[in-house]
Amino acid sequence: MPDNKKSKRQLAWVYDLNKCIGCQTCSVACKMLWNNEEEGADHQWWMTVNTKPGAGTPRGWESMGGGYDAKGKLHFGRLPTPEEFGGGWDFNYDDVLRGGKGRSAHLKKISGSKTWGMNWDEDEGGGEFPNAYFFYLPRMCNHCTDAACVEACPSGAMFKRESDGLVLRDEDACTGSQQCASACPYKKIYFNEARGVSQHCIGCFPRLEQGVAPVCVRQCPGRAAFVGFLDDENSAVHRLVAKHRVALPLHPEFNTTPNVFYVPPLAPAPLREDGSWDENASRIPPNILEDLFGTEVHGALEVLRSELDKKRRGKESKVMDELILYQWKDCLGHLTRDPAEIVWKRS
Amino acid sequence: MAQTDSNWADRYREKWTWDSVTWGTHSVDCYPGGCPFRVYTKNGRIVREEQASIHTPIEAGIPDRNPMGCQKGACWSHCHYSQDRITTPLKRAGERGEGKWQEVSWDEALTDIADAMLDAIEEQGPESIITPLTPEVGAQPARLFNRVLGTPTSDGNAEFQDFSPGWHLTWGVFNPTSSMDDWFLADLTLIWHANPVYTNIHWYHYLAESRYNGGEIVTIAPDYSASATHADYHQPIRIGTDAALALSMCKVIIDSGLYQKQFVQEQTDLPLLVRKDNGRFLRGNEVYDWDREDQFFWWNTLNGSLTSAPRNTLALLDVDPALEGTFKVTLSDLSEIEVEPVFQLLKRHLEDYTPERAGEICEIAPDNIRKLARKVATRKTKIFIGWNSGKYYHGDLMERAMALLLGLTGNWGKKGTGTRSWAIMGMDGDAFMARKPGPGQEAAQKHIASMIAMRKLVSVNDPTMTPEMVQNRAAEVASELGGMGNMIPPAFLWYYQFGYKERWNDPENNDPTMKRSFDEYVNEAIEKGWFGDRASKVFQHVEPRVFFESGGNVLRRQRGGQKQLLKHLWPKLKMIVSVDYRMTTTGLHSDYVLPAAQHYEKLVHSMMSVHHLRFVLGDKATEPLGDSLPDVEIGFRLVEKIEERAAKRGLTEFKDCEGNVRSLVGLSDQLSQGGALREEEVRFDEAIRDNAVYGLLPKGTTLETLREKGAVRFTSWGSIGHGISQGSSIRPDEIHTPMRWHVEDKVPYDTLVRRAQYYIDHDWFIEAGEALPTHKEPTNQGGAQRRFLMTSGHNRWSIHSMNMTNNILLNTHRGEPFVFINDDDAVGLGIENGDKVRMTSNAGTMLIQAKISPSVRPGQLIVYNGFEPYMHEEHYSQADLEPGHVKHLGLAGGYGHLTYRAFSWQPIPADRAVRCDIEKVMD
Ligand code: SF4
Ligand code: SF4
Ligand code: SF4
Repeated sequence: MPDNKKSKRQLAWVYDLNKCIGCQTCSVACKMLWNNEEEGADHQWWMTVNTKPGAGTPRGWESMGGGYDAKGKLHFGRLPTPEEFGGGWDFNYDDVLRGGKGRSAHLKKISGSKTWGMNWDEDEGGGEFPNAYFFYLPRMCNHCTDAACVEACPSGAMFKRESDGLVLRDEDACTGSQQCASACPYKKIYFNEARGVSQHCIGCFPRLEQGVAPVCVRQCPGRAAFVGFLDDENSAVHRLVAKHRVALPLHPEFNTTPNVFYVPPLAPAPLREDGSWDENASRIPPNILEDLFGTEVHGALEVLRSELDKKRRGKESKVMDELILYQWKDCLGHLTRDPAEIVWKRS
Repeated sequence: MAQTDSNWADRYREKWTWDSVTWGTHSVDCYPGGCPFRVYTKNGRIVREEQASIHTPIEAGIPDRNPMGCQKGACWSHCHYSQDRITTPLKRAGERGEGKWQEVSWDEALTDIADAMLDAIEEQGPESIITPLTPEVGAQPARLFNRVLGTPTSDGNAEFQDFSPGWHLTWGVFNPTSSMDDWFLADLTLIWHANPVYTNIHWYHYLAESRYNGGEIVTIAPDYSASATHADYHQPIRIGTDAALALSMCKVIIDSGLYQKQFVQEQTDLPLLVRKDNGRFLRGNEVYDWDREDQFFWWNTLNGSLTSAPRNTLALLDVDPALEGTFKVTLSDLSEIEVEPVFQLLKRHLEDYTPERAGEICEIAPDNIRKLARKVATRKTKIFIGWNSGKYYHGDLMERAMALLLGLTGNWGKKGTGTRSWAIMGMDGDAFMARKPGPGQEAAQKHIASMIAMRKLVSVNDPTMTPEMVQNRAAEVASELGGMGNMIPPAFLWYYQFGYKERWNDPENNDPTMKRSFDEYVNEAIEKGWFGDRASKVFQHVEPRVFFESGGNVLRRQRGGQKQLLKHLWPKLKMIVSVDYRMTTTGLHSDYVLPAAQHYEKLVHSMMSVHHLRFVLGDKATEPLGDSLPDVEIGFRLVEKIEERAAKRGLTEFKDCEGNVRSLVGLSDQLSQGGALREEEVRFDEAIRDNAVYGLLPKGTTLETLREKGAVRFTSWGSIGHGISQGSSIRPDEIHTPMRWHVEDKVPYDTLVRRAQYYIDHDWFIEAGEALPTHKEPTNQGGAQRRFLMTSGHNRWSIHSMNMTNNILLNTHRGEPFVFINDDDAVGLGIENGDKVRMTSNAGTMLIQAKISPSVRPGQLIVYNGFEPYMHEEHYSQADLEPGHVKHLGLAGGYGHLTYRAFSWQPIPADRAVRCDIEKVMD
């Protein structure tokens, strides 16, 4: 294992995949705040939501390598190509709307990837009709406890912040070697061609400093996202991960100890050959979920099912109440401040 | 050691700063949203927005609705500065549709437009100036001239085809709809003809949370939709066969005695007696010489006698109406006939819908039907429906069958039950602004007093009329509703002037069970005056000359396709105007494009939504970009220009088609109370203050109140819009549940029989075999021999075509229009993911990209709506494949609640289940 300086506390995220609707508000909110009209950032989406099963972005990221092996040895994987990240599209608006070309010009992409986009395989999924299946997987940098990117960085630009465990990069020190991106097994690091630096989710640290939650959580209309200190017993994140054990890390076998957790997806009962519902079978093949969340996924799903059952029988369920999120502020952990209150003293 | 106390980090910190914060919302029909936002501005430019999240629940035990919003709203400000934004008036400089423009001054543009309007008025009258109603409320004030010139506005129900005819047939109202927090309380939610994961992003959580709260979610759809992924059960169904499923569930419920007898007896027409000799309701004037034609009867089993079903209450007073049995009745002419309750007729009718038989029709396992029926019968059930069903040719039948399912199981009028779709209230303060006797709230008080007095007159001859009936009758006689000008059902305009006569008479596109030609039905409806001469006869001779689109996009929207309009309508038009903040396909084909201010550049409010019951403020964060203007300013400038140009040609008045003389003098004064309410902010504030007087908003609410709070909750429905259709009062401390007046207070429904009406004994319905809800196969619209059925629906990334060209959102999907096709079907046709394909029906053809998924039903092609036609190669879109047919029964009238008022009963076009073919295209 790397000798990363461990943080005192760790900020963590939970995404409830039974509430996530793939709306991309988190991605769009993140884009609007950090990567809109920024030089070299057209293709960057620090937050992405993809349909699983699916290749996602960068296309086929799960088999690109990186992370640690069981012995704690760092592996450099493959650097995703811009084509694999996809997107970065701009369009020929002027041509179509003011170009005098009539039907001979239609709105089309004039830059970026020709074959892929950040959400190209949206809602395609897997299985076979009528038992097709899919679910949404929001992904951001996992602000890993054993961050492969930090160890891989040759210029010392990357660090794990002591106060909250965010994995950040000093962009002034970054030399653009992209070793971090090769080492990150989640492939959540982008390259800014124009500025010659790598970039990734900054955990909305300027907001955290003001007691305001990150946009991906604070703007999630699905009320599927939670943020908070992992060790804060008053945070929903702590309870979901540590107490109720219904939220699991993604690809634990990458051995970077990620700090984004997921409540695994339930799915409707599949149909038998004769079209009748088979309530005892699983529509999503269990191995698909195991591949993503490890074998612990079965236990987490079991908790979800039995707690759901309690509610259906008119009993109380703390787990369900937590996920219902009666009061939205409870998903924000200690970061409950309304940003609109802030008045900046700007020169 | 690198840390965050250095330059690179400060750059990020600087990015998240601002100079000012204002309230924002999106004044559009995002089904309908009205999410409160905060808009952040820096250096005179809007930098971003974020949900305000200011909601506190009004009823204990229900989750709050923060942070209500969606991805469109989260990047709305990006559209302020995007490349399709229009900031200068544009005059066409080439052929229509060519995209060559000359930038002109407002004065030049408005002079030309006003002259064309006056020419049209002089040539054929104001009816030759057409404004379609559009769902973007913020754009409505640009059409201010509607209110003073008597020009027709085509009804939105047909225009964007948002009507649930089956609900109207059953309950006599627009959509009774709970507030969305009520979704949380259902024990069973059937998501049916809806895909809320796409279309209700801002509220979807209530469904997920209802499941976590112990409720079950079932989705019923042809495909495994995004919403199905979060269901407990998903029931795939053959396209267009939903009525058969609902009816079969009804059969199971009746056969197993699980129906709610008292609810059925009290709330529905099922105990009413029907004559066996002619299949008509037994009517008062048939039994007694002195009785009313609209008096209906029960058989009271307590004393074995014929009893009048009261017209003034639903309460069962000393009566136990028979649901079964055949009874003898002596008529006033002393002849004897046999009668039976509708329920008995229904039972016979349902013999055709055994789970086995329905299972074959719907391609569903019979066991699932039984299981589902029992669930519905034993739980608080909500049918979560969108506006998909009404877009099927036989959507009325599907909805009536669903309403029957709910009626048999007592599933409305209480929390966690009912149906939903979409409903809004009206903005009384704005609608009545020009009609009150002067500026100020005293004048508003006088206006409301005179309105109340007028409404009393409506019910003077029938004291049993309910408030709902009074309001609906008032709306039927009002020439102008909601300040939207003369609303007309556009079917006749389309028929005679948009080229639909030929198409609607094409038997291939019609229901094969239709007994006569479409023409015959049209002629009968016109002869009998069912829709009024103004709507139905005028367009036999008046040709449209001016087409004024504000905030809408008819060339994307029109069922039947742009080709239809460009061929039949466009050549007749001397002036086409598009008022918008962006260039739409309609704009591209217009003579003038007038730049409107974007949503954060003007004062707007959310749609007056029953779903969230809040008046949400959108304030002005910056000045409008370039020469763009708030819609209300455009509206006034145009009206003033019309006055000026009319004076120049010495025209002071004109006659409309009904012979009313209309003045061309003092129009602006009339609209602005002598100029006192001319200015945007004054006007906006006045509307809010008046709303408080009219009872919609808390007493004393002003613009200032809203600037402080961002949003306030409604206190009553007001007197226009669909509020009254809710049949419930807004309670200050409870979520909204519709139809409580009927179920709790036993107030009758506004239908012919004053009960939820499943039996429609109108001649045409009997002729069509649709007196009772029944299943009919989808028609052959599009071409009988074609292999696929195209379905559609709202997509996830745009509101209609608004935001569709936002390049941030384009980057979150394929970035171009696509059709979903089943993987096996694709293999069979040699189509690969991402291939260019051509889709064709008997109405037209388009080019599009294929997207392959096993979630799609074999034989189904899904093209989500909203892509701008100009995003397709050749600019033709899915609307060009839709024949745009209306079902002939929509023309029925002269029968109780089958009568036209704005946003109500009328023919609406079908666009679901269009037959088409698909083939790969080589580049
Ligand atoms: S905003 Fe929330 S619901 Fe929407 S995609 Fe992101 S995590 Fe999922
Ligand atoms: S997800 Fe990747 S970039 Fe983020 S901390 Fe982990 S290894 Fe580093
Ligand atoms: S577009 Fe509609 S749903 Fe989305 S945030 Fe705005 S008001 Fe809400």
